[in-house]
Order: sequence, then structure tokens, then C-alpha cells
Amino acid sequence: MSEPVISVSELSRRFGDKTALASVSLSMPRGAVYGLVGANGAGKTTLIRHILGLLRAESGSVRVFGLDPVADPVAVLSRIGYLSEENDLPGWMRVDELIRYTGAFYPAWDDGYAEELRHKFDLDPSAKIQNLSKGQKARAGLLIALAYRPELLVLDEPSSGLDPIVRRDILGAVIRTIAHEGRTVLFSSHLLDEVEQVADHVTMIHQGKIVLSAPLDEIKRSHRVGERVPTLDEIFVAQVGMPAADSSLRSE
Amino acid sequence: MTMRSHWSDMRSPALAIAWEFGRRHRWGFAALAGYSLLLGMTDLLIVAGPAASMDPSWDLVEITPRFAAKVVVPVSIFTYYFLAVFSFGLTGDLAARQSMYPARLFTLPVTTDALAGWPMLYGAATLAGLFMAATRFAVWPSGVDIPLVWPALFVAATLAWTQALMWLSYGLPGLRVIVTVLWLATIDAVVFTALERKVSESVMIAALAPQVPLAYLCARFAVARARRGDVPDWRPAFARLARLAALLPQGRDRFPSAARAQSWFEWRVHGKSLPGWVGVLLPFELVFLFVAGNETPSLVAYTLCGVLLTPPLVAAFAAPRVRKSSPQLSDGYAITPFTATRPLTSAVLIAAKLQMAMWSTLATWLLVLVAIPSALTLSGTWTVVIERVRELSDAIGPPRTAVIGLLAVSGLVVWTWKQLVQSLYVGLSGREWLIRLSTGLTLTVLIFIEPIIAWVRASDAVRVALWNAMPWILAGLVCAKVSAASWIAARLQSSRLLSDRALVTGAASWVVVVLALYALFGWLVSGPLIPRYFLLLLAILAVPLARLSAAPLALAWNRHR
Repeated sequence: MSEPVISVSELSRRFGDKTALASVSLSMPRGAVYGLVGANGAGKTTLIRHILGLLRAESGSVRVFGLDPVADPVAVLSRIGYLSEENDLPGWMRVDELIRYTGAFYPAWDDGYAEELRHKFDLDPSAKIQNLSKGQKARAGLLIALAYRPELLVLDEPSSGLDPIVRRDILGAVIRTIAHEGRTVLFSSHLLDEVEQVADHVTMIHQGKIVLSAPLDEIKRSHRVGERVPTLDEIFVAQVGMPAADSSLRSE
Repeated sequence: MTMRSHWSDMRSPALAIAWEFGRRHRWGFAALAGYSLLLGMTDLLIVAGPAASMDPSWDLVEITPRFAAKVVVPVSIFTYYFLAVFSFGLTGDLAARQSMYPARLFTLPVTTDALAGWPMLYGAATLAGLFMAATRFAVWPSGVDIPLVWPALFVAATLAWTQALMWLSYGLPGLRVIVTVLWLATIDAVVFTALERKVSESVMIAALAPQVPLAYLCARFAVARARRGDVPDWRPAFARLARLAALLPQGRDRFPSAARAQSWFEWRVHGKSLPGWVGVLLPFELVFLFVAGNETPSLVAYTLCGVLLTPPLVAAFAAPRVRKSSPQLSDGYAITPFTATRPLTSAVLIAAKLQMAMWSTLATWLLVLVAIPSALTLSGTWTVVIERVRELSDAIGPPRTAVIGLLAVSGLVVWTWKQLVQSLYVGLSGREWLIRLSTGLTLTVLIFIEPIIAWVRASDAVRVALWNAMPWILAGLVCAKVSAASWIAARLQSSRLLSDRALVTGAASWVVVVLALYALFGWLVSGPLIPRYFLLLLAILAVPLARLSAAPLALAWNRHR
């Protein structure tokens, strides 16, 4: 069996009094789509930030491609495509400048593919990022995350607040990425119907703990009631006691 | 009723707007309050009052260096700060066509009069109050009678027009800067001409008083237009020029390396601030050369000194912005995920900042070194400067004069760059407590340095003791610097932020620069009075090492929290 792309062992993290992650362990083998689901504030982004090396493990360990992302950020980050929940692309850049700038960091950057994606996403190269709509910004972020065909694509709540057309583009990107053999996608969301459409493997996280992690088919099989196969939303409610899209509001 | 419940019961838009200014800029206001308090205390306890040594015939031109350091410079700094605060200039894009008035306020159920009026009123009251208090305090307890009303009106009018011009929408990008500079320079020139002609105070008041309501009308118009989303667009008229510009080489090729791309990024985000601000200030300073009666050697020297000191001083104020990972984030120092996920080491990210600071410094000095000869030529004051240079050349010889001139300019250039980068480690750490601590320490030093200098100057015994202890003081500082640098180097090596080779090369380069500076000092001040080791200690302290090498560590601390 090949080395896992992501290996998280007994990872814990606190922010003041709040436990964001409590002894989380996770192993993601190469070549599949992993859905990380949970309510807002469950710990999805904190886990992803550890994987990217933006947070240092307080206890436990994180390995990506067998490397420590904090000790060796260049080797790890050059193989990851990342679309941030915050969509913090620099507003002053034009789309063509963003493409030119990002391309400099990745030897495998494919100008032709970037241009193809730009056309597909209907992005004007001379438009400033700050003047783009929220959906267009998400598309621009997706473009620069995909154009070097990364080995691992990390999408952190990519479609929250976006219209169905942009969400379709994002799901298309996931499918396009895994069409290349051996590439892996980690896709976090609280919109479970989306995850259900593309994920091979689902990890449910609640209040910093992993409550369920298994292949989607297996999860559905194990929660089957007679002939009826429950939706991922229903399974999440069964595990956590509340829907993913609402529980954050209740906890607040 | 407690203060907290008072604010929580806030029902008036005027109070809400005031609260936002107070809450958002509480550290700036606290710094002003702290400065005033400490200055007052030190003056009461240590020196008899700033005006005690001043001549009763004091006027605006006869500003002693001590008075300037203590009152004029800090008050000017606070004035610039409050101009930016009350015009919302700290959060907006100065070069954009759109109004800089925050769009989030447009949806409040408040009249446009209130949106334009309250910030203008608060700003004018703050600046006028600051100026009147500083002036009163500066001449206390001498009882010298100096005008209060028209200067207060002048600063209020300057603020009001700055607000109006910042909140206007423009047809072209960058037009705001040109219009604002020209309009404020015109007001400045009118006021200085009136002063030159000894116009009476009542005339000054009559001329300045209508400025604030006029500016208010302009600001109200600007906010109303921005509120309905009206932004003129004159760009189509320039489309033909833009097509011609597109024929020029645009640098659309790929960047040769990731490091070069990051340098470009840093330049675009931070690089233009310093030359931009110095470019705005230069006309205001050089205009003194054109005022009749200012062609005396001492006034020309004062003006040129002011101009030459502007880049390093402005760099000190631009540095907090440069050390932010994203200037768009007005409150946070945390590095953005976009920058943090660049596949570059923290050392390369810092190298890009240092390179940007170098280009920014060179661009600024190019501007200064073109502006000074132009202003000297146009004002006819070249002869004064040439005469002074000739006197110096006769005294110490042409080679030394040339070297001193070159050294002075190079020193100022390096000092400007150093001002931009030496505190990078503070902001890049991303820890607000460290940033506040550093700001507090800097302000404390600024406040206490002047009374200490006055105390040293006043006593021969203290001066002699200090001179005797100077080698030990310098040696102690060198030990602290080298120890800090060694600890930082060990951390850089253990965290693999820099390779062994990079560390050795950096240390060797630092030693070479220190030795070169020591040789230069030795050549310039060869004499028995100053021992050689003293020059070596000075050279070691002058070349940046510890704080600069701490920057990658600080960034890594911020990047991997």
C-alpha cells in the first residue's frame, strides 16, 4: 500500500479555553475525494490549516506527502492547490497579473491549461480582483489552485454563499482533478448534498472530534433502514443530533 | 451610569460615529494622551518649561531645535495621523476613482448631512484642540502672546478640505492625489504669503473662517454622490492613449523565478508608499525656498536639512504599513492564507520585502535628488549652496568634501532603508501585544530622550562622567547586539529557516561592511582624541544585524502559529 497523502495522528489544538481539535487522527491514501463535513466551528478549517502548515501542532503530528508542513513548507505547499474559505486574493491585482504571479511559484504551471480555465470561467484578464463578484473571485481562486495540476487539492468551504452555477464549476474542478490518476482532493463543507455528489470517503467532525470516518458507500450501507438509503444529511443528524447547516447557528 | 452602559445605550448616530472613531483608533488617541501627560510631567519635574529659554520676541520662524523636537515634530505627526483618521484615509485606496468614504456607512439610516458633518466636526475639533493646547503649552510659562485662532482655523480648514477631496469620486485613477496636493498647496501658499506680508489676524480669520463651511458643502456633495453610486468615468476619453501604452513592453512574460515574483508583489503592495508620501511633502517643504527673504544661508540650510531628513522620517512612519502582511487588513497583523501558502521559505519572503524596501528607498531618493536642484535653480538659491560648499572645500580640501558629501547622501539613503526594515520583525510576528509593547517603548524613549539630553547639556559633571563611561556603554550595547544576533542565528539554523551557507555568507558580509565602515571612520576622523576602538564599536552598532536577522524567525512564528 502506498504512503498516505495526509497522515494526522492524535492532533489536538486549543484556542484559549476552546478546544478546536481533540486527538484527531486521520489517514488519507492517494487518489480519492475526501469530504470533510461538519457544522461551522466544528474544526474543519483548523484541521485544514494544520495540513497546510499554517498552524503548528500543539500535540500530535501532521504529515503531508510524508513531510512536516511546518518544517518543510516549500516541499509541501508546492504540491498543494488550495482554495481558501476567506477568498483573500489581493484585490489590487488584475486577473492576468494573478495568473502570471501565481505561475511563477509552480514549475508544473501549465499556461495553456490556465488560459483554458480562464475562458471556461469567463474571467476578463484585465479585470481587477476587487471588482469581481463573489462567484468570479471563487472562480479566479479555483483557476490558480488548478492550473498546475496539484497532487493534492484542498478546498475549504469552497461553495458557501455561492450560486449554483459556481458550485457546479467547483464540483467540476474536483472531478477534473481526480480524472488525473493519483491525485487527491480534500473538500470541506457543511453542505452535505454537495459532498455526497463527489466524495469517495467522508469524515464527519463535530466539536473538534471525528465522529465518523469511512468510505461513503460503507457509511450508507451501515445506516440503511430496510430498503431506504438515508442521505448524508440524515446520517449526520443521526451521528451528531443536528443538521450540519443548522447546528452552527444553534451552537452560537 | 458607567461608561460601558453609556455606550451600550447609544442611540444617537452622532455618538455612534464618535464611538467608532474612538474605538478603532483608541491606541492613537491613547498615545496622544500619554504623550501629553508625560511631556507635561517631565517638563514640570525636570525642566522649567520649554519657553523658559525662549526669547520673548518668538515668532514662527525662530523655532529652536529643542522646541521643534518636543512640540513641532510630535504635533505634526499627530496632525498627519488625524488627517488620515478623520478622512478615512487609512482604510481606503488613495488612487481609486471611487470615494474613500466607507461604503458600509451608506446603508445606515442617517442623513447625508450627518455622514459628512460629524466626522468633519470631530476631526476639526480634535485638530484645532490639539493645536491650541500644544501652542499654549509650548509657550507656558513665559506668557508670550502668540496667535491661536487663525492657526486653529487653518488646521481645521486643512482637515475639512482633505476630507472633502478624499470623499469625492474622480473620473481617473490617481486624480485624487493630484487634486488634493494642488489644492492644499494652494491654501498653504496663500497662508504663507499672507504671513510674509504681515497680514493682520482679523484678516486671516476672515479669510480662513469660510473655508470649513465651503469644504463641508463639497464633502456633503461628495458623500451624496458616492451614496448613490455615482462615479464619473473619464477613461474612455483616454482609451486611445491606453491603446498606445499597450504597445509598450508590459512585462507580460513569466517571472524568471518565484523570488522575483514575490519581489514584484511586495513592490506593488508596499513599494510606492514611501516615494508617494515624500513626493506629496516635498512641494510643501521646498516652497520655503521661493518665499522672499528666505534666501539667507541659514534658512536655505534649514530648508535643505528638512528636505533631506524627510525620507528617513517618513520611512519610520511607512514602516508599520510595510511590516503588515496585508495593508488591506487595517486591524489584523496575521498573515493572510494567500501569502502564507506561497511555496517559499520565510527567508525568501523576507528577502522580497528587503528588496522592495531597497527599490522604494532608491525611488524616493531619486525624487529628492531631482527635486532639490530643480527647486534651487528655480528659486535662484543655488549660489548660496555653492558658496557653502566652496567654504567647506577650502577648509578641508576637495577630496574630503566630496567624500563627506557622498557619505552623507549614502548614509541618508541607508538610514531610510534601515528605517523601513529594522522593525519588520515586530509587525511580522503578528502578535498585537508585541506590537503595542514596541510602540509604547518607542514613545517612552521619544518622550524621555529630550529631558535627558537637556539634563546632560545642563551639567558639566554629567557630561564628563558620560564621556568617561562611553566606551563601557558602547561595549555593553555591542555585547547585547552580538549576543542577540548569536541567539537568533542559532534559532535560524535549528529551525532550518536559513542554510548554514546562507548564515556564514551573511555573517561574513556583515563583518566586511563593518570593517569598511570602520576604515572610513578612521580616514575621516583621524586624530588622537578619538581612540580607534571607539570607532570600531560605532561601526558595529551602525550596521544592522540582530533585528534584521530576527525578521524570518518572526514571520515563521506568524506563518506557522
